[in-house]
Amino acid sequence: MIDITLTDWQILLVKLGIILTVVPVLTLVTGYAEHKVMAHLQHRLGPMYPGGFHGWAILLADGLKFIYKEDIVPTAADKRVFTLAPLAIFVPAVLVYLVIPIDETLIVEDLDVGLFYLLAISSVGTIGVLMAGWSSANKYALIGALRAAAQLIAYELPIVLSAAVIAMLAGTLSLVGIVQAQDWPFVLWPPGIGLAAFLIFTASGVAELTRPPFDMPVAESEIITGAFTEYSGMRFIFSFFFPEVANMIAFGAIGATLFLGGFNPIVPWGPLDAIPGIIWFLVKTSFMVFLFLWIRPTFPRLREDQLQRFAWKILIPLSLGLVLAAGAWVLYAPEAWVS
Amino acid sequence: MATTEKRLGTARKLGFGVGLLKGMAVTLKHLFKHNTVIQYPDEKQDLGPRTRGVIALKEENCTVCMLCARECPDWCIYIDSHKETLPPKREGGRPRKRNVLDRFAIDYALCMYCGICVEVCPYDALFWSREFEYAEYDIRELTHEKEKLSDWMSTVLPPPSLDEGAEQPGVPARTAAAPAERPVAAAPSPAAPARGATTPAAPPTLAPEAAEQVDADRLPPPPQSRAQTQATERTAEAAAGADLTEAGEPTPSQVAAGEEAGPAAAQAPAPEGARDHKVEAEEPVPNVEVPHETPHPQPLAPEADPEAVYQSVLEEQKAKGSSPQVAEARARVARAKAERGIHRGPTPVATSKVVPSAPTKAEQEEASPEPTASGTATSEAQEPEPAPVAPTPQEEAKAETPPATEAPGDETPDQVFERVLAEERAKGSSDAVAQGRAKAARFKAERAMRDGG
Repeated sequence: MIDITLTDWQILLVKLGIILTVVPVLTLVTGYAEHKVMAHLQHRLGPMYPGGFHGWAILLADGLKFIYKEDIVPTAADKRVFTLAPLAIFVPAVLVYLVIPIDETLIVEDLDVGLFYLLAISSVGTIGVLMAGWSSANKYALIGALRAAAQLIAYELPIVLSAAVIAMLAGTLSLVGIVQAQDWPFVLWPPGIGLAAFLIFTASGVAELTRPPFDMPVAESEIITGAFTEYSGMRFIFSFFFPEVANMIAFGAIGATLFLGGFNPIVPWGPLDAIPGIIWFLVKTSFMVFLFLWIRPTFPRLREDQLQRFAWKILIPLSLGLVLAAGAWVLYAPEAWVS
Repeated sequence: MATTEKRLGTARKLGFGVGLLKGMAVTLKHLFKHNTVIQYPDEKQDLGPRTRGVIALKEENCTVCMLCARECPDWCIYIDSHKETLPPKREGGRPRKRNVLDRFAIDYALCMYCGICVEVCPYDALFWSREFEYAEYDIRELTHEKEKLSDWMSTVLPPPSLDEGAEQPGVPARTAAAPAERPVAAAPSPAAPARGATTPAAPPTLAPEAAEQVDADRLPPPPQSRAQTQATERTAEAAAGADLTEAGEPTPSQVAAGEEAGPAAAQAPAPEGARDHKVEAEEPVPNVEVPHETPHPQPLAPEADPEAVYQSVLEEQKAKGSSPQVAEARARVARAKAERGIHRGPTPVATSKVVPSAPTKAEQEEASPEPTASGTATSEAQEPEPAPVAPTPQEEAKAETPPATEAPGDETPDQVFERVLAEERAKGSSDAVAQGRAKAARFKAERAMRDGG
């Protein structure tokens, strides 16, 4: 065996290199899947020509197109903030992947406070959106940014609370620990509580991704991609397109980890153990991503006020109740049920 | 309805979110359904036979009636045409006028494909074609001129076959007798004398043949019968023009010809030479059967041999000093009239009078007691310009006696002017008329001098 010793810095660089190659590739694949799956859900074909076979190269072609586009910064824009905003959105979207356990040992960094880190880092993007909207000196962009801020804050709460339910049930904030705590995935056991938390998480996740039916902040038909109205070329890719897809995969991976048992088999049954954990993880993540794709063309969009009411009047009280229920379960459930 | 309510009821019982799940089920079903999208440039849909793609023009059918252009809600049809004069079909006939299509264009940038033009066209000159791939880079190219519109004709589908048991197009449900006789009855009046002349003279020996003929026509009409009807129509006209001489006095030979042609007429159209006789033999038949269907007035019997009339008029005209062309034309008219049995008035002669237009008041007063041949000349009405056909006897008289304006050659134009003016005033013409005529006379005199000198 080759004996390689690396310093901490070198290890960090390798890890970052892996993340920075895997995430864009995953994003391209998922973006293509989004095109095709959504098309077929709507009884269309989607892209068919780029690349020759079922339009597999559509996103490469799109990327090329964006590279060739002129990079425009509006005269009235606050140039420094305007150019920094895509970075502020893009970096957190990548950093989320640091703590997601693909397998028991296949993880960039198993933080003890992994769940906390995850929730914290995914909220940072909101600041980037606000920066983009404010610096653009554009009414649509400002409206979009404020809507995004309002919505991301509103839906952050149910996500945090449903994640808190999981943390209470698992008794740890480490994501590997959470997965290991799920002999039966939380969505199935404890009955009701896990499922409700999963549904709340999914709904809030769609809202957090500002995807239809919760797409008021970007609302292309009304405020033309909201905070990103003034962005063009690669800036648009890095501020809007790439983070959206990357975040979608991340949320899928988080949902799979927290509720579907991550790299564990979906049910504790002997033969299923033969399948490696990475496959389980990828299947579950794919299912979550498919769920997001499935929701998008199915449901009609909500109005801004309906959207806020749904968060504050339904999801947050419900998840608060769930926290209570989970606490009760942890304290009073019979020992045989919990394990 | 009941089931829907029931379903809604169960949904309510099951609680929140069932509608969402149903919606997701719908989209999921479509994910696995066979996709029916047609990838257009690669695959092409078989469009329906009545697809409104492009409008094709069958140029030879267009009569420039302008109905399509007028009905078009978008005013996107442009038609230009001119009138063309064709020589008369037969000697002595009037020259025919015909519309010639110069331009027929449809601006497909304006067209809204309502198809009203296709529906309104009475002569089947416009058709729908299924072709739809005629996009252009320049909007002006979307105006298709008649050449392009005619090219589209090759893409027009044949009309769909009729439903089982449908009425055949173009043949009314009534017996075939009606279509068989109608064209003859409706034929232009020249046909009438032929019929009228022959009817009384038809010998009784023809009757059985005629009855047979009618029976043949009553049979369910095969297409041949229609064609024959048309042929009959055509030959009727031709015969009316060319063979009226014979028609006037049916001879035994003609009757024999009729007997010959009678049975043959039930089959395919007879050869060109036999046609005229056949028609004469046939034509009495409808008259015998349906006497009330002959609305045309029975013309007078020809009073003289047309050829004799022609010769006499020609000589008369030449004697009067008309130019050879005029004389011949008038003689021809007289002959045609004789053929049709129209009573002939005295023919006019070319006059060299200086006063060509309306007669003066004095003249009219003079003329009023005498009845005119045409019966139109009254004391009040302006008498028309001396028509070549039926001039008044008064004008005849005038023409024969050289008019006063026929001036001696030594007069100067100014003298002519003064003289004519004085004459006109004496006649009681109004000042303006007198001046005008005097001026005209002077001009003529001037020209005569110039030509002479």
